[in-house]
Amino acid sequence: MQRKAELLTMAGLIGSGATLWLGLTWAPSVAIDAFEAPIAQKIFYWHVPSAWAAMLAFLFLFIGSTAWFFKGKDWGWRLHVASSEAGLATGLMAVWSGCIWGAAEWGVPWDWTDIRLNTFAILTLLALFLVLGRRTQPDGVETRDTFATFGMYGFVLVPITYIATRFWQIRHPGPVVATNEGSLNSDMGLVLALGAISFTMLVTGHILSGMKLTKLELRFEELQKEYEERF
Amino acid sequence: MPVVEMVDVSLRRGRQQVLENWDLSIDSGEVVVLSGENGCGKSSVIEACSGLLPLESGSTTISKQLIRDSEGRRGRVAFGLCLQEDCLMGDEIVEERLLDVAECSFDTTSLLKKWKLDHRSKDRVAMLSGGQRRKLAVISGVLPALLSSKPMAVLLDEPDSGLDDESVKMLATLLTDLAAGGHSILVASHNQEIHSIANRVVNFPFSIEKLNPPIGKFEPITGGKQIQRMVGHRINLRTMSLFANNGIAGLLVLGGMLALLEPSTLDAKMRAGFILAPALALGLCGDPLFRLLQENRAHAWWNASKGMTPNSLLHILISAGLLTLLASAAINYYDWKLIAAGALFGFLTATIISWISHATLRLARPNALMLRLLTPIIILPWALIVDTLAV
Repeated sequence: MQRKAELLTMAGLIGSGATLWLGLTWAPSVAIDAFEAPIAQKIFYWHVPSAWAAMLAFLFLFIGSTAWFFKGKDWGWRLHVASSEAGLATGLMAVWSGCIWGAAEWGVPWDWTDIRLNTFAILTLLALFLVLGRRTQPDGVETRDTFATFGMYGFVLVPITYIATRFWQIRHPGPVVATNEGSLNSDMGLVLALGAISFTMLVTGHILSGMKLTKLELRFEELQKEYEERF
Repeated sequence: MPVVEMVDVSLRRGRQQVLENWDLSIDSGEVVVLSGENGCGKSSVIEACSGLLPLESGSTTISKQLIRDSEGRRGRVAFGLCLQEDCLMGDEIVEERLLDVAECSFDTTSLLKKWKLDHRSKDRVAMLSGGQRRKLAVISGVLPALLSSKPMAVLLDEPDSGLDDESVKMLATLLTDLAAGGHSILVASHNQEIHSIANRVVNFPFSIEKLNPPIGKFEPITGGKQIQRMVGHRINLRTMSLFANNGIAGLLVLGGMLALLEPSTLDAKMRAGFILAPALALGLCGDPLFRLLQENRAHAWWNASKGMTPNSLLHILISAGLLTLLASAAINYYDWKLIAAGALFGFLTATIISWISHATLRLARPNALMLRLLTPIIILPWALIVDTLAV
């Protein structure tokens, strides 16, 4: 069970690949009059699960940042590092697929006044800032405190992003599951569920692997220091 | 009666535990010298004592007023401070700097004369030599105590570095005199001249040597009426940094739009966007004074001593309003709501950018961060305002 995280990541990758394949080839299309670009709608099987995974990663980012900032827990910092990387990867997947879908459906890839689009993009940029910024700084309590602060404040955007389409629906479609406005076709729901499970496994495996990697990096730095002190 | 107290202080810097459950108490009229190798934690003690560093445990108080504790509570009280860096902005004028520190009028010439700086009183700090800058930083550090007849804390981090022998002797005499006036002095130094005036020398890692210092004579400088110093306003006017940074960005955006767009063909939304875009560009550049404050860690001195850093946010409010008015004039469409929104939006944007920038100052390399990655956070509210005000 030493390789639990890697196995989880691998299973998630296979599942998300299967989701994409099933979504494009097997899942039924929406009614021809339901969307401007019904074929492009199939990207939804990739877009929604990746956005869900990004939200999970941002939740873990918040937990890790809080655990480091208030309790000084090392696992909190490792979780912060790993989940910001996972949040960046899945966030970019959701933004990129959303732009493609938007270009086909709305005629423009982006709308600067849509709250869901913009708050989600800002979250992804925050993850990019954390990942790139951390590389520019030596590890230490000052670096960890500063980035953990950004990680915590950034989480404010998660509930705003989540409720955005319920309160201010501009271009982005509203929720399609767990609503009173009818439900998805069962085959569509099945592929979407497979996607959600696979992406959850992928992001969890990625975060666990990332935490392990950060632990090894920190240990390596300590050993280097010990070596320098000894010789 | 202790004036400076550090109780149960634990402190970490980088990946090193610098202090662990450390206690230090300095009575009125006492001089305590911190001594030890480079990197042993002397500066950390001074910075923790002045409230600049967050504590893992414990608290620091000055004149019975909490400065900082491990729960993040902070307070403020007047004390003298000179950090290892000079903490002076190059665009400050020598005499004005002293008045800004004192916050009251007093005879600056005789004080500067004692330190052989009177001929430089009207010069910018950037024109001074390294030694002269250090002298000015040291005078700024001891000035609050020189003006006070009540016991006050003075924290000095290697004040003698870069000073000539005569100045070091003068500094030692001055510290003895301040102690005679009841002031409590904490000074980090390797210099034997400074060691010779100490009541206690704390050698890192932690052995304490008690000495019998000479006794001085204190005569406080008489201060005049209190004055409100608008430091940010003054430096901004002197350097024109708001125009050079933010103003140019806003004007370029306006010029670019005028070159590409035909004003008569703009619909309501485009027109609102056109009028508000220069204010957005101006605000996105942040507070121009922030860049100046990064020079020699000036922000750290202002934060610890005055509780806030100088800023030019009022100028940004006015400039954003004027720029929005200019954009309105360019297309001959005047709407007071848009002009007010432009002024406020430019101001709020610069405030947010300034806040984000300040949040990174504890980092080892704040300039290496790509803070601009976070600026799109401003675009959404801007777009929503444009949408709302488009009529």
